[in-house]
Amino acid sequence: MLIFSVLFPDQPEACMSKHVLNELDALLEAGVITEVEAGRIRQYYAQKLPPESNKLVIVFGILGSLLVGMGLVLIIAHNWDTLPKPAKLGIGLFPLFIAQAACGYLLWKKSTSVAWREGVSVFLMFAIATAIAIVSQVYNMDGTLANFLFYWMLLTLPVIYVMRSSAVSLLFWAGITWYACDDGYVHFYHAIPYKYWLLALAAMPWYISLCRRDESTFTYFHNWIIAISLIITVGTFASQTEELILPAYVLLFGIFILVGQLPVFARHRLVADAYLVLGSLGLVSLLLTLSFRWYWAEISQKDSAGWLNSPEGVLCIVLLLAAIGLYLLLLRHKKFTQLLSKSYVIPIFSVLFFIGLNAPHTAQILINIFVLLLAVYTIREGAKVDHLGRMNYGLLIFALLIICRFFDTNLSFVIRGLLFVLVGLGFFALNYRMIRKRKEQQNV
Amino acid sequence: MKKLIFPAFALMVLAQWIVPVKMMLDSEAVLTDGELYKFKTQPIDPSDPFRGKYVVLHFDVEQVETDTLRQFSEGQEVYARLATNTNGFVKIAALLAEKPEILDNTFLKTTVRYAWFVDGKQRINLNLPFNRFYVEESKAPVAEQAYWDAQQDTLQTTYALVRVRKGQAIIENVMINDRPILEIVQEMNEKEAQK
Repeated sequence: MLIFSVLFPDQPEACMSKHVLNELDALLEAGVITEVEAGRIRQYYAQKLPPESNKLVIVFGILGSLLVGMGLVLIIAHNWDTLPKPAKLGIGLFPLFIAQAACGYLLWKKSTSVAWREGVSVFLMFAIATAIAIVSQVYNMDGTLANFLFYWMLLTLPVIYVMRSSAVSLLFWAGITWYACDDGYVHFYHAIPYKYWLLALAAMPWYISLCRRDESTFTYFHNWIIAISLIITVGTFASQTEELILPAYVLLFGIFILVGQLPVFARHRLVADAYLVLGSLGLVSLLLTLSFRWYWAEISQKDSAGWLNSPEGVLCIVLLLAAIGLYLLLLRHKKFTQLLSKSYVIPIFSVLFFIGLNAPHTAQILINIFVLLLAVYTIREGAKVDHLGRMNYGLLIFALLIICRFFDTNLSFVIRGLLFVLVGLGFFALNYRMIRKRKEQQNV
Repeated sequence: MKKLIFPAFALMVLAQWIVPVKMMLDSEAVLTDGELYKFKTQPIDPSDPFRGKYVVLHFDVEQVETDTLRQFSEGQEVYARLATNTNGFVKIAALLAEKPEILDNTFLKTTVRYAWFVDGKQRINLNLPFNRFYVEESKAPVAEQAYWDAQQDTLQTTYALVRVRKGQAIIENVMINDRPILEIVQEMNEKEAQK
């Protein structure tokens, strides 16, 4: 049940319905609703929500297939050298045949069972791995892990669309990320895994359709895995002009903030809006890093003539264009002033970056002021929507900025101590004010 | 859209079979028609999460000295023309940057791992496309030990039997003193059991 509750946390709607259903008896007793109305409410929710047992079957179907699939891969990896070659190949390729037959049967029967569809598709995904593994093992084929993962994912891609499997799509994102890491970080040549982007692009339509269709747990998981995957893989571009990787990450996290505010994601709970959470955390950490002197000192000393032709330069341009597109898209739904304060990071940072190329000290001071303003705005936004977490997050940014400045300024210990005391008092005062305001509202 | 699902499914199934079957057919073609070469080796024992334990083989011929011109760069695809030395082991007679016009069984397609200069001449370390020999997991440490013992003992010769066909290569076996390594491992295990 623990796994179940982790994989499928209650949707807001489900929480609400449980709450309403639990209250029905009390409402009946108090004479607020009649027996007939209570019956109609129960009937409404019974029809609206899928029974939990269905979700359980889906989870265990996927987990079962995952375990069986991985088990098969491990059994094959034993290398049964006492078996003759045809037997080894036959055993290794048999799961592929079974999995494809099962998929074909489900399609032919037009099965509507999500559990079967997801389970069998995950099994097919691992059967593909087993098939490639057995052949390369029997013939002692060379080939890096990245190569293996690439072909595996390439052959897995159609499974997502043909079987309409979100579980395979999730595993696919994990797989291509693993491929990108092996090719981009681990492999001897540290090549930029461009093929990752092609595979990611090919898997995007499914994700977009998932976002448009419903707010299922699969969508939430996709949000997280795709955001994490992109964060990991952008670093593989670091090759010639590593100074541009930091700006690239600022742009990426800035884009996440914009994506997180799109209407399709904005209605999600904060925990499901991975883009907003990761974008905000990433931006704050990066801006705090940039508030030190070292980065600005480094870029001002380098010759920036060929930067735009480097892979990192091209990446920054592509990210900048994507950000412009997203601004235009967002401004169709919201006013510029309605956007979250961190949405302004991209234009402001872009200007600061160019200032920093010639005047590193000015850029550093401006970044510090910018982080300070960001902290104040985050506190204000938290206070506005009566969100204790957000308000304290703003205070935390403020405190972290002060801690960072302790390392590279010559302020006296007394002033540093006083600043800390002031921030601490600020924490108490703001929290106390908000909690008191809430109580007053409750009393009213 | 629904009409397309079965052709799409058929295409998917086909693609998922084409890759392993093509890998098999290509390998079988090399094993049946390929020229047999002996590559002298040195081993270590890592493992792959999907394909299990294997012995990594490093070959004497991986290091090649070329002329004074800077010809090759890291990661570049090259064609090695193979010949046999007086001891019957393979040697690299020439290294070509371009695909030869007649790609016969004396050519091996490979990549440059790294290249550097010594006394004005370019030295190249090749990443030969057959450096894995898969072994049953329980036998892998014993195989590695047998190999290391053979490497230490200068009287023993270790080498890989490799079939080469039109640039493609497949390891047929790994030998210690003209005996297959798995036979030696089997013998060692039996001796261990008798003790």
